[in-house]
Amino acid sequence: MATVLLVEDDPAARQGLELALRRLGYGVRAAETGEAALRDFRDAAADVVVLDLMLPGLDGFEVCRRLRRGSDIPVIMLTARGDDLDIVGGLEAGADDYVVKPVEPRVLDARIRAVLRRTARADSPAETYGELMIDRGSLIVRRAGRDVSLTPTELRLLLVLSGSPRQVFSREQLLGLVWEHDYLGDSRLVDACVQRLRAKIEADTSQPRYIQTVRGFGYRFGPV
Amino acid sequence: MRWRLIVAFIVVALLAALASQWVVNLLIPVFPSLHVLVDPPRWLNLLFYNRHPGQGPPQMRLFLAVVLGLAALFLLAVITGLAFAASRPVLLPVRRLARAAQRMSGGDLSVRIQPRGRDELAQLVTSFNGMASALEDKVGELEQMAARARQFAGDVSHELRTPLTAMTAVVGILHEHPGLTGDAATAARLVRQEVQHLNRLVEDLIEISRFDAGTAQLVIDETDIANAVGRCLRARGWSSVCTDVPAGLTARLDRRRFDVVLANLVGNAVRHGGPPVTVKAGIQPDGRGGGQLAVEVRDHGHGLAPAAIPHVFDRFFKADTARARSEGSGLGLAIAWENARLHSGHIDAGNHPGGGAVFTVSLPLDAPVSL
Repeated sequence: MATVLLVEDDPAARQGLELALRRLGYGVRAAETGEAALRDFRDAAADVVVLDLMLPGLDGFEVCRRLRRGSDIPVIMLTARGDDLDIVGGLEAGADDYVVKPVEPRVLDARIRAVLRRTARADSPAETYGELMIDRGSLIVRRAGRDVSLTPTELRLLLVLSGSPRQVFSREQLLGLVWEHDYLGDSRLVDACVQRLRAKIEADTSQPRYIQTVRGFGYRFGPV
Repeated sequence: MRWRLIVAFIVVALLAALASQWVVNLLIPVFPSLHVLVDPPRWLNLLFYNRHPGQGPPQMRLFLAVVLGLAALFLLAVITGLAFAASRPVLLPVRRLARAAQRMSGGDLSVRIQPRGRDELAQLVTSFNGMASALEDKVGELEQMAARARQFAGDVSHELRTPLTAMTAVVGILHEHPGLTGDAATAARLVRQEVQHLNRLVEDLIEISRFDAGTAQLVIDETDIANAVGRCLRARGWSSVCTDVPAGLTARLDRRRFDVVLANLVGNAVRHGGPPVTVKAGIQPDGRGGGQLAVEVRDHGHGLAPAAIPHVFDRFFKADTARARSEGSGLGLAIAWENARLHSGHIDAGNHPGGGAVFTVSLPLDAPVSL
């Protein structure tokens, strides 16, 4: 079963979430501070990070940014409901998803599972679009011959969009296909992830070639 | 005001002319030489006291009459002009005062007027300024107090969330524990139920404190209304609610907030109204030549008490004070109302002529995003 690195400063919340996650069958490594999380991260061999944003010292945003510098591990933020600045800031820092505190263990479980499923491999030959090479079997993406490092969510988004080139996907559809969120999912997740993906695969993010915006409808891949 | 002043000026001028003649008449016995002031000049005699009939051509008299008329008109114009000029220093401060009072009633309490001179009008201006600054101080103080109270409610809710996170995480474990039987199992169930209730309450409190602080934001999406209504009802298991929403009806709005509005209104109808509950949606004129989305939630119960209608959107308002605590937080309708307002829309509550309460949500088809 997967290992979760849980970063939460409040002892009761940390203990409670750890208990609940263990009961759900996860291995849990708990960290009290952002500094400890960054230190433990390597040898924890975690598959996913559950990160509280409000941490003393190094805050959740900064922890997420630093994690992203060296890793594509999925990050799920723990936030307050609708604290829009927190959510937007966390997504910009590179988080894959967020849950709202106080979170029901089954909701957290569903999100962790969804995030881990994003690395599912498909048995199909590599495809090439312009400078972009996408290999669904080995989950490798290359741009102009160089490997592009994508988080599971960015990768899944790219696979979904490029799986049906030229087809327009609404943000709602993408939330279902990539994030496995229900109808009320937050469409800002899609926008933030598109931004990050463009930054990695597009030559010019203001004139995207691969991930194109269809105003008022959503996004599509190509035409390249 | 100006014309009244001018007429008064003219009347005063005429009266002064008459009075001066009367005074001169009184003084003539003492200073006979003053008679030149009151005796009509000779050319006037020509005109009015025709002592030598037959003399002088009639054209000449006509000419004199015209000259006299023109002179009178000229005099009137001069007096009017003088009155105009004299009324200016009175009217100007009055007008400035009126403009300032208007701005103030429009909500701008920072308005002040520069007093000029030391007359009564300057005094009035000074007192106006004093009143304005006193009012501004008082309102500022009250606003600060209200902001502190709101901040406090928000802070308390945020503080409650941390212990609730721990409780929510473990209460399920307790509930599912097979070792708990009898009273212990009942206690565990009760704790779980009340933790859920507390969660809802805190969530709603935080939501409403965000409206108060003005930090609530819209996340706008093109939304199919029939789809949104259907999903909202299905997610809550309200299968008995009848819907009448035309296919293809779409609006640009915040889907989560629209869901909250609908869920609160339908939940309210299901809990407190009588069946059947119906949801109807369509486009109605918005009174400005355009169309707006109108969603009507109606039940077939006893309807709202007329005295309760203005208060149904108040926080923690309960139409029946004796009623036991319901499963809602008591903030549902207030939150629905705030959400509609965030979309630049509104909700109206009332009773249907055919019985039952009706809540109508009116939202723009393309919600303006405030930044």
